[in-house]
Amino acid sequence: MTQQLVSTVRPRQKTRRRFQEALTPILWIGPALGLIAVIVLWPVVVLFQTSFQHISPDGFVLGSAGGKNFSNLFDEPDLNGVLIRTVIWVGAVVIVTMAISMLLAQVFNARWPGRRVARWALIAPWAASVTMTALVFRWALDANNGVINVFLHQIGLIKSFNSNAADWLGRPAYAFAWMIAVAVFVSLPFTTYALLAGLQSIPGDIYEAARVDGATPWQMYRRITLPLLRPAFLVAALINIINVFNSFPIIWEMTRGGPGHETSTTTTFLFQLKQSFIGESAAMSVINFALIVVVVLAFLRASRWREQVS
Amino acid sequence: MKRRYGVVVALCAATALLTMTACGSSGKGSSASGTTTLKIVAADYGTGPSNTSQIYWQGIADAFHQANPSITVQVQTINWNDFDNQIQTMVQNKQYPDITEGDYFANYAQEGLLYPVSDVFSNPSNLLGVFKTLGSYNNVQYGMPFTTSSRTLFYNKKLFTAAGITSAPQTWADVQADAAAIKAKGNIGFGLPLGPEEAQAESLLWMLGNGGNYTDSSGHFTINSSQNIETFQFLKQLVASGDTEPNPGTKNRTDLWKQFAQGQIGMINGSPALIPIIQAGKVLSDSDWASVPIPGKTGPLATTLGVCDFTAAFKNGNTSKQAAIKKFLDFAYSDTYQLQFDKEYDLLPATNSATQQLSSDPVFGPFLKALPQAVQYPSSTAWAATKTQIQQTIGTAITGDPSKVLGAIQQTATKG
Repeated sequence: MTQQLVSTVRPRQKTRRRFQEALTPILWIGPALGLIAVIVLWPVVVLFQTSFQHISPDGFVLGSAGGKNFSNLFDEPDLNGVLIRTVIWVGAVVIVTMAISMLLAQVFNARWPGRRVARWALIAPWAASVTMTALVFRWALDANNGVINVFLHQIGLIKSFNSNAADWLGRPAYAFAWMIAVAVFVSLPFTTYALLAGLQSIPGDIYEAARVDGATPWQMYRRITLPLLRPAFLVAALINIINVFNSFPIIWEMTRGGPGHETSTTTTFLFQLKQSFIGESAAMSVINFALIVVVVLAFLRASRWREQVS
Repeated sequence: MKRRYGVVVALCAATALLTMTACGSSGKGSSASGTTTLKIVAADYGTGPSNTSQIYWQGIADAFHQANPSITVQVQTINWNDFDNQIQTMVQNKQYPDITEGDYFANYAQEGLLYPVSDVFSNPSNLLGVFKTLGSYNNVQYGMPFTTSSRTLFYNKKLFTAAGITSAPQTWADVQADAAAIKAKGNIGFGLPLGPEEAQAESLLWMLGNGGNYTDSSGHFTINSSQNIETFQFLKQLVASGDTEPNPGTKNRTDLWKQFAQGQIGMINGSPALIPIIQAGKVLSDSDWASVPIPGKTGPLATTLGVCDFTAAFKNGNTSKQAAIKKFLDFAYSDTYQLQFDKEYDLLPATNSATQQLSSDPVFGPFLKALPQAVQYPSSTAWAATKTQIQQTIGTAITGDPSKVLGAIQQTATKG
């Protein structure tokens, strides 16, 4: 139909028509591009600007700071610890989440009575606000009467309340471990569902053919499930890396990064800097941004993303 | 195809909404009909929904609106844990509230963000003169004292008796011995809140006990003075011996006060605001606790920390608003509301007229007489950033090296 119309019009109209045709997709994707420009790109531009400005604690721009914000940031005695902790945080949460989710997805993919209820139950930690979950855990770990401590006391693992042993969130190493556990807890539902979707997309006849050829379950898992699950696995891992890296509420609600900055990651650290040093906080944010871009690019490269996913 | 169309429509709608709200938010404040809206942001002195300061301020706002129908006052209260942080964020984003009540910072006056008191309050001479310097910048007063309090040592008589202690502690050595005896009975000896909420108060109370302070008599910061380092070495040792709650650097005042009210802590530094919390806890009767002057290294403090919370009015470039603020502050500072606040939270008034009414009160009278000698926080513009740093890091002096931690804070304070 279109072909016929185009062939009957004169050349000038033809170019006009072609121009309009070229415009059509812009009309379609324009609003989305506009949103991305305003909501994603513009803040990044402002962020970079801010990181080179000298700003008073009350938000007044006092001129250019040159590289001073960055040099102040690198002089922060706590920065190294914060960076190392960020790496541990992302690594531990993502690896543990992926491992547990692989198991869970397999379980939820098998048929068993009550599976529907269990699948619904898995959504709960996802549906609840992360802040709320973090608060629940903070009080459950309270040294005085937290429910986890009450339980540990009853089974004899904790001798007395208000002791150093019961004060999980007061000791930086333990507090950090608990927060990693909470982060895993809230990351499981999404990851499990992403992997479950991947599992369900593997056609059943492949397994049937393998069974006919005499493959063992372990062989089928290694040779069929794992390779075919790879795209779903990579997407889930990547989204987790980004989410966990930027995670703020768990640490903020459970320890506020304290004592000092001893349980802070870069994301909470930059928020604490912001109170008095806006420029330096922006510098930290730029580093944060650069870090996540590098990490994501490295991940895509290492996982040969193009061949696997797109 | 149809579905994609829907998505585009949704996106268009979203963009339109975004741009519209962006435009819509600029014309707030006073509208064409001649009404003015004021926003007051106050710290919450309450411990829960039943006694939140929101109720107190809303009561004033409603009564004020009834008397002045053209002015509406919006009330927002923020818990002490987040108060400074949120006010600072509002200021940084240039979304100034009209009035704040809570901490006051000289740097806001320095930046020219605040009205001088004389512009927004009819009778500045009625405000307690003792705290005038603290609320001033360059000899002009910007902060209006709203409520005051002093700090004393509260102790649990029940736990003292159970531990065989007969008298209240007077020296650091007493504190340590008593705390150890109470701890031996399975309770917390001394409640030491060095977490971010109010570490600056707890630290100063201990510094004073060793003749230290944040500044010297001429106002220069002396945070890492040898006395202060010695003070924190004592605290470090006190914590290491297990005579306090575990990990004081992560514990906040409000939580420990509640725990004291539950009868689990032997001693804690508190203000009169702790009294209603004890009463609400219904665990300790009035005869189960007492409060005494805070112990120092060799004897009780002669002068304690006098804390004053201020109101301050932000300029929003509008004379009709300024007049409305003045009207409201005159209204809110009436003796009735001053005394209502003090009754609710057991704090003290900050106006001369309200103080006179309480001068013969058995509980409040003595404190009011002692107030003029009370030690106050530094009034310099560097205090805001210094305080933030103290709140965040001073607790690490308990686990780390006190001279290093205090030295880093001193560096922030003097950075300029």
